[in-house]
Amino acid sequence: MASQALELVQYRSLIRNLVAKDLKVRYKNSALGFLWSLLNPLLMMVVFTFVFTQLLNQHIAAFPVFVLTALLPWNWTATAVTAGTASLVDNAPLINKVYFPRILLPMSVVLSTMVNYVLALPALFLMMAIFGRPFTPWIVEIPLIVLIQAIFVTAVVLILAPLNVYFRDTTVLVEVGLLAWFFMTPIFYPVEAVVPHLAAWMYRLNPMAAIVEDYRVILYNGAVPDPLFTGRTGATALVLLAIGWLVFTRLSRNLGENL
Amino acid sequence: MRAGHRRDRMPQPGHPQDDAAVEFRGVSRRFRLHHETRTSFQDWFIALVRPRGKAEEFWALRDVSFVVRRGEALGIVGRNGAGKSTLLKLVSRVLEPTSGDVLIHGRTHAMLELGAGFHPELSGRDNVYLNGSIYGFSRRQMGERFDRIVQFAELERFIDTPVKHYSSGMFMRLGFAIAVHMDPEILVVDEVLAVGDAAFQRKGYEALMDLRARGTTVLFVSHSVEQIREFCDRAILLQEGRIVDSGPAAEVVDHYLRTMQEQAGEIAILRVRAIDRSGLPLDAVASGADLGLEVLLRVPPGGSTGDLALGLDLHDRAGTHLFGSTAQLPADLPAFDDLDPGTRRVRSVVRGLPLAGGTLTIAATLQRGALGTTEPLDRQETQVDVVGRWTGRERGILRLDHDWEWETEADPSATGPHLEHR
Repeated sequence: MASQALELVQYRSLIRNLVAKDLKVRYKNSALGFLWSLLNPLLMMVVFTFVFTQLLNQHIAAFPVFVLTALLPWNWTATAVTAGTASLVDNAPLINKVYFPRILLPMSVVLSTMVNYVLALPALFLMMAIFGRPFTPWIVEIPLIVLIQAIFVTAVVLILAPLNVYFRDTTVLVEVGLLAWFFMTPIFYPVEAVVPHLAAWMYRLNPMAAIVEDYRVILYNGAVPDPLFTGRTGATALVLLAIGWLVFTRLSRNLGENL
Repeated sequence: MRAGHRRDRMPQPGHPQDDAAVEFRGVSRRFRLHHETRTSFQDWFIALVRPRGKAEEFWALRDVSFVVRRGEALGIVGRNGAGKSTLLKLVSRVLEPTSGDVLIHGRTHAMLELGAGFHPELSGRDNVYLNGSIYGFSRRQMGERFDRIVQFAELERFIDTPVKHYSSGMFMRLGFAIAVHMDPEILVVDEVLAVGDAAFQRKGYEALMDLRARGTTVLFVSHSVEQIREFCDRAILLQEGRIVDSGPAAEVVDHYLRTMQEQAGEIAILRVRAIDRSGLPLDAVASGADLGLEVLLRVPPGGSTGDLALGLDLHDRAGTHLFGSTAQLPADLPAFDDLDPGTRRVRSVVRGLPLAGGTLTIAATLQRGALGTTEPLDRQETQVDVVGRWTGRERGILRLDHDWEWETEADPSATGPHLEHR
């Protein structure tokens, strides 16, 4: 394990280059380039504002901000899980020809989608200002929540990526799974809308629900999240990461034979 | 003992070979052949209900042990499926052994496929850095090598073009250039010398010779046994996953060729080369001179060459197909070699080679029936330099036998200078 960690340090330029490659390829051939990271949430906001303030009758103040605080991190998770699951299979020719720590492939997907998420945050801040949401010092806790989410998403991807090598249907199941997961995460509805005795279970079984709630407390409510609550989520993410690491190391030993 | 790779630089305790760069100790590698691979849940569920018994096992390598000393070049010969590629993949850590130990002492670079890991949307420049980092090199380390790599690949003008616009030759050249500039301590080469045009192939070969001269340990697989004879100190012969011979490269290659010959039924090209009038091999031929071509065929005992067609094709260094000709062979070509009655010789002469100069690639293709209708039985290439004496007034890839002639104004039929072909 220590030698594996040391190897990752040795290959740190590969992590950086893989992330840079992902970002470059994503924005290649588009006139606005990385500005899309900012524009995309702003355009979504326009849609939400129209739909939820003009078409639908609902009672949550600054609803577009309410949704976006949860939807942007959700999008990060969803794209990372989709691309991360495919990351080993997509790079089969490389895996069969060159040795390098394979774990870098799913990890770089999580990192490049994270960069994308962070680039979108200024758009969210702009919307907060427009809708008059409070900016509180608790905003400094955002990097911590981002870190917890990154650890959690990495854990999920480390389990799914090698699984996809052995069962190619994983990609399809992940698609369906993400849809169910999306509705079971309080993104378009407040957690208060959940049947009370199930809300606690939602947090326990779905770390994304807890992560989204932390973002919302800080950015939408302008309050401080319960440190115990955040701590529990962080601990869960770390335990899952350890499990993901073990699963990945175990399943990826004979990748070359199965790709 | 647990099977696996070890990458320590310390000598193994109780082991006399301190200068070993690569060591295999009783290495076996098994593959499971799933006749219907279970890669979907559906297959998996079906398999739960209807067990198909154990998957068939295939041992690509069995109990292989050998040592490559530092600075040595080891050739690996054997027929397709003998385990050569598996062996190289074990050295380069793409595969892990099923049992036994693979010990690697030194930084290894494997040229199993050139340009593996290139991303089509990225420029040549970005791909150099990305590729470098795949092999564990930092941006700074790649920066130091960058100019030399681009120069070697002859891609100065195209380095900022996305590689999806590269020709396959350019793609391979860049891959090769990166590989030879990584200063590996151990280099694994698998059939990558057939890259680009003849001139680049020679350059690539020279670069490998250079690395070897600087003390790089090389493991070398090539279909060209002549290259192995020339390049390697020692060789091992693999047969069905086992080492059946090892020793000086020339001896092992001869052994390999003999076993190839013993395996009856297969007609193959042993060698193609350029020769002069007296039948001696040539490296270079003067423009306008006669070029002899000699093809040696291996025909199994009792075999006939009656239904065979032999094609000879000439390409220049840019890959332009200059000329091709096919001969239907007579059934009873006489044996060429008293010692080996299975060898037959076919000769062809190109009279007054009308080429300007440069490297000429000669490809011999052997086929059953008409050329181009079936898969070739065998194909081999060789190169010869055409040496042209340029007068400074001539251009082009051909050198045509020509004269200039002028008519004076007094002749009413003349309209101006014209070429007269003889």
